[in-house]
Amino acid sequence: MIGLETVATPAGLIIGAICGLVPLAAGVYYRKIGVGIGGFIACLLSGFACGLIGGLPMILLTYAVVVSYAYVNRQDPFTSRAALEDVSFEVSRIEQLQRAMANLGITVRASWKALTRNKAGLIGFIGILFFVLVTTFGPLFIEYDGAAHMDRRTPGSRALVAPPSAEFPLGLDWKGRDVLSHMVHGGQRLILTSIQAGILATGIAVILGSAAGLLGGAVDQAITTVANFILTIPAFPLLIVLAALVEFDSDFLLALLFGVLNWPTLMRAVRAQVLSLRERDYVQAAMALDLGLWHIISREVFPNMVSYVAVNLIFTIRVAMYSIVGLVFLGLVPLREPDWAVMIYTGRQQGVLFLPQAAGMLLSPIIAIALFQLSLVLFSRSLEEIFNPRLRSGV
Amino acid sequence: MTALSASSPPAAQPVPTLRERLRRLRRSYLFKVVIQGLITILAVMTLTFFMIRQMPGNPFQVRIEDLMTRQGLTYEEAYRAAASIFNFDPDRPALLQFGDYIGDLLQGDLGMSITKTGTPVAELILRYLPWTLFSIGLSVLISFTLGTTLGLSIGYWRGSWFDNVVTTLASIISGIPDYIIALLIILIFGVQLEWFKIGQVRGGVDPTITPALSLEYIGSILQYAFMPMLIYTLSSIGTWILAMKSSTISTLGEDYIAVAQARGLPQRRILSAYVGRNAMLPLITRLAINVGFIVGGSVIIEEMFQYPGLGRNLYLAITGRDYTVMQGIFLVITVAVVASNILADLVIVWLDPRVRLDKGEEA
Repeated sequence: MIGLETVATPAGLIIGAICGLVPLAAGVYYRKIGVGIGGFIACLLSGFACGLIGGLPMILLTYAVVVSYAYVNRQDPFTSRAALEDVSFEVSRIEQLQRAMANLGITVRASWKALTRNKAGLIGFIGILFFVLVTTFGPLFIEYDGAAHMDRRTPGSRALVAPPSAEFPLGLDWKGRDVLSHMVHGGQRLILTSIQAGILATGIAVILGSAAGLLGGAVDQAITTVANFILTIPAFPLLIVLAALVEFDSDFLLALLFGVLNWPTLMRAVRAQVLSLRERDYVQAAMALDLGLWHIISREVFPNMVSYVAVNLIFTIRVAMYSIVGLVFLGLVPLREPDWAVMIYTGRQQGVLFLPQAAGMLLSPIIAIALFQLSLVLFSRSLEEIFNPRLRSGV
Repeated sequence: MTALSASSPPAAQPVPTLRERLRRLRRSYLFKVVIQGLITILAVMTLTFFMIRQMPGNPFQVRIEDLMTRQGLTYEEAYRAAASIFNFDPDRPALLQFGDYIGDLLQGDLGMSITKTGTPVAELILRYLPWTLFSIGLSVLISFTLGTTLGLSIGYWRGSWFDNVVTTLASIISGIPDYIIALLIILIFGVQLEWFKIGQVRGGVDPTITPALSLEYIGSILQYAFMPMLIYTLSSIGTWILAMKSSTISTLGEDYIAVAQARGLPQRRILSAYVGRNAMLPLITRLAINVGFIVGGSVIIEEMFQYPGLGRNLYLAITGRDYTVMQGIFLVITVAVVASNILADLVIVWLDPRVRLDKGEEA
């Protein structure tokens, strides 16, 4: 995958800058320079953080926002600002594309507005952004402190672990290493693995749930049976058994395993949703008009499910992080430093849990995990407003 | 003939034949669900049986090596000694072993523990189960009662400062994993503020007190269970509060509430008999489903506090590769989950006459 290797490197910065030229140029062209500069900064940051994976979608979004400010809908003389002589009902390809872009931009702006309107959601969003920024860009500024430092022992103390000081803002861990560097370097993998696991579980659930709801019959029965079966087995002990069976040399494997075990609850909800949506009047009307399966799924059924699925995605990411940290906490997966969960594990294993001066080493990862989970909860509150077309008012 | 039978007492109605009874039984909801449950239990048993035998680190080989090094036996001797200790032949095909296991199970025999030589699995489970049932069961009751009461009141007086405070606290606490709450409590209140001694909250009961129905013994049990119970309650109460609040708000929109208010019924009566009862219904289902998972305990919390419950011992059995104990605990949990799902269905029908079970699964 191109992109993830360029995370927080000069190459990523260059990718971001190049991507940012598109909204900037559009902003200059449409005389919306402020918006263009905003788009440039957004592209620069996302290109820097995720390489091409972040840069390319951001081009689309920022360009759409710029267009949405400048676009004049010539087809609609009543609500648009088009002068009467500009009104034209001819539809050209470019015109169509522009309109689609403007609509996307309006959606993005409305989502942003919905996000900023809900204070709790905004706090959650800022929290998530904070952790993502710190774990991606932090390593640029703070060097990883991996080797033990016997020389850092405070005189008269038996352990190397030390409380926060001016030199080490979060204190020293049991090997005398800087806790702050471990915090900055140790979060990215945990967050990424949890997000992967959440996306996998949600993806499996949505696909199987839609299949069960739309196809019905034997497919439905088979999927429901498997789901009930998985729901009966206690999830976390099963994960412990599987953790012994599978060697987790890759994080993706762990995420995949989590996904395979955690789809049933959401699958049942999606299936019920699809079943009830199928009976709604507007879906029936679309079927009667013979609008085609793709249109019905993408325009009628999916928009009504997406807020629910998005909220569940966040919930599943939380459960994934819970399970992964739990497995590490019990020492059941290969431990790799630096990692927030491994910090808690070693803290408990080395017996520094009960040393008052070890607070910095233990509380840092604990509070980080708690705050990240909290941010996810708060953010999921405004997701509802962002994705639900009824709650989302126009700009 | 018809006139005669019409005038005869109701007891003279034709007695259903055996075949009719069987047919009625086959159609009944309970029968269907119980059969489904049994199939699920069998499937879980099969899966766990073969899965745990794939785990690396065979306890049999470990014991043989242990006997060879410690007692200086040859491989053959150690092998025979280990076989007699474990009471099973490891060379027997897994499928036949499985057959033996199911056969024993049908006679109510869960087998012998592998690592704790000479102890039946059933005895071990009966020893651990009460701790888990007591600690988690009581916490679930507390958090359910408190949570629904709070949820009902903030749903009824929504928008008040009380609602805002409780909702914020509930969403904060429901967002933090239970072991993180536990660590925070230990670190802040135990280590930093020294409100309690950390050594005192590990284990199930003070080992120096002899088990008896004395006040001292029960007090010690409560003291040791306090920490895990506090954490279970804290980690689950937020969800109950939020669920009850949304359920209350949707119930308040029902017509019968407006009618009750129009009739001028006192607020207390509306709150308890009209809103509370109806808003509680979906939560009762969730509670009944939760009952199954109470049995399993919380692996991490029990391990953290060394609490001698089923969860911690399942963890110990998994890490110690004690096949029979693992199977036994998985079986108990599965049976509990299946039973509680059936219970949830029955309870909701009993409580809410609008729900009919024979309408299918969508009810």
